Amino acid sequence: MFKGLFNIIVKEVKELVRDPKILLGMIIVPLIMFPLMGFAIQTSMEAAEESMESISMAVMDLDKGPVAENLTNFLTTLNVRIVEVDDLNLTEAVNYIEQSNLTGLIVIPPSFSNNITEGLKAELDVYTVFRGGGIAESTSSSAISALLKTFEEGLVVQKVGERFPENPETVLDPIEMSEKSIIKGKDVNIPPDVLFGLMMAQSTGMPVGIMVLLIFAMQLAATSVASEKEEKTLETLLTLPVNRFTILVGKLTGSIIVAVVGAVAYIVGFSYYMGSFAGFMPAETGVDLTAIGLAPTPISYLLLGASLFMALLSALALAISISVFAEDVRGAQALVGPLSILLIFPMIFTMFTDIYALPFPLMIVLLAIPFTHPMLAARAAFTGDYLTAVIGIVYVSIFTVAVLYIAARLFGTEKILTARLKFRRFRLRKRK
Amino acid sequence: MSAAVEVNELVKVFGEVRALDGLSFQIRKGEIYGLIGPNGAGKTTALRITSTLLLPTSGTVKVFGHNVVDEASEIRRLISYLPEEAGAYKNLSGYEYLEFMTKFTAKNKETVKETVEVAAKISGLEERLKDKVKTYSKGMKRRLLVARALMTKPNLAVLDEPTSGLDVLHSVHVRGIIKQYVEKQGVTVLLSSHNMLEVEHLCDRVALINKGKIVAEGSPAELKTKYDSANLEEVFAKVVGFV
Repeated sequence: MFKGLFNIIVKEVKELVRDPKILLGMIIVPLIMFPLMGFAIQTSMEAAEESMESISMAVMDLDKGPVAENLTNFLTTLNVRIVEVDDLNLTEAVNYIEQSNLTGLIVIPPSFSNNITEGLKAELDVYTVFRGGGIAESTSSSAISALLKTFEEGLVVQKVGERFPENPETVLDPIEMSEKSIIKGKDVNIPPDVLFGLMMAQSTGMPVGIMVLLIFAMQLAATSVASEKEEKTLETLLTLPVNRFTILVGKLTGSIIVAVVGAVAYIVGFSYYMGSFAGFMPAETGVDLTAIGLAPTPISYLLLGASLFMALLSALALAISISVFAEDVRGAQALVGPLSILLIFPMIFTMFTDIYALPFPLMIVLLAIPFTHPMLAARAAFTGDYLTAVIGIVYVSIFTVAVLYIAARLFGTEKILTARLKFRRFRLRKRK
Repeated sequence: MSAAVEVNELVKVFGEVRALDGLSFQIRKGEIYGLIGPNGAGKTTALRITSTLLLPTSGTVKVFGHNVVDEASEIRRLISYLPEEAGAYKNLSGYEYLEFMTKFTAKNKETVKETVEVAAKISGLEERLKDKVKTYSKGMKRRLLVARALMTKPNLAVLDEPTSGLDVLHSVHVRGIIKQYVEKQGVTVLLSSHNMLEVEHLCDRVALINKGKIVAEGSPAELKTKYDSANLEEVFAKVVGFV
């Protein structure tokens, strides 16, 4: 039955991979564009970090009191270069920092130290030069604010310490909260927000990857059939002594192979892009997901793989069935394009919410979409919820068989050549 | 001796269009038979049904005794079809394309190699077969496709407008290929064309087809004598009452 299948698969892969549009869009762009974007972001982040290390501030000390002196010393201790501009007026000082490479200006008004000592509200004016609004400027400005806030907190502790000399910090932070999580009936000494953060980081990438893979595959399959129709190579192929189901399977397999390569290229490029942020993220929490039973097991991976494969097959069969009604590649892509909605919606919902917590009609709509299930299986893989994955696989399998049957029927009959989708044009009559 | 192709009362309806309206003809083994007529006469539909691409609405078509409706796979082993204005896989080289097509019928690697060599000779493309099909001119592509259709020595070659859109030199080359190769190999050919001079040059017998029906049939010489005409174009014009 499958005589000639390998021949067709090899031809399909060669045709698709050698197509400059596919090669450029699916393999080269992700492998070059994302790393380049990552490099650009990494470079600007590094520049921002460097700018934080070399913050220079002008200080106009009109107070000359002890607290003002403490503030200047505090900033100097934390590597902020201080340029004293006490002998200038405000306008001159502003002009000066604008012309020089200083981050900003701190004006300590008269009676600053006195007000703080007396328990009154003291004022402090901080000016930051806006030069273009880049990340480096923003981080320098934030760093200054953070340093001043720390100084203020130190003053608060000192003030409270005068009243409660034994334990001023307990007065300021009287409750010691210990947050724990319950996982599969066991309490684990990890705050839930840390756990959610970890889960999100590990499971949100999958829906995006699945969406990209399926969109690639659908576009490929549609292009594969439509280009054969456009070039009339399909007519020749259908008169060869080869089973038509074999032709269909060959096309599906060829598209799957190239789509997987494209998706891998996308994921590699995207991972590099995401990795460019890694050095700037907070350090890892040190939580071992395997130890607390939240890491995927081999069975989870197997179920996820099965779910993904069935979804891929159904997406391809769907794209092929639809592209049969197109006369050329552009028509096929236009017909298949709207199907991406069926991928984007499940992706958004599975990334940001629990589908089962949605209103019932919306939940049913999402569960009816076969492409929701591999995304749910990806999440279930972390929680070990095998039943969800299995139910999804069964549902997607039934859907796939139905769509494959339709695709096979279309391939087995003259519909493959004669089917056309006609869009009626409604013309508006001009009123005379 | 049984006929290579037998078409009886063939009708094909597309929606409200009756493309073929009781078409009947027979092709003898080893002859070149031409269906000629204007655009939309039903030539391509008749060829597509004979090649098992379309099903008849009614009537029968038999190829070497096999019915197109329920013995399509047997027929596909015996025929080779060249669609009108067909392309080849543009990202494959000429060699790769011929290899791909041969592998469906060849028994082993040796046969594949031999068949591709035959096609290379027929096409006359030589070194250009190493280049990708997308770099070929229309004429070169057509030569490749004609070679593909004939290389496997099919029992029946179905050629739809084999020289359509080609310049004079390429047309002459393609006609030469068909004439020489068919005579040498004894292949039966069913071809369509609206170029009546070409058909007159190539075909042993022709059927003039108009609005899905055969309006005259015979050898070019017989038809010209019968209708007292200098060429088949005049014959056709007289038959359909144009002059």
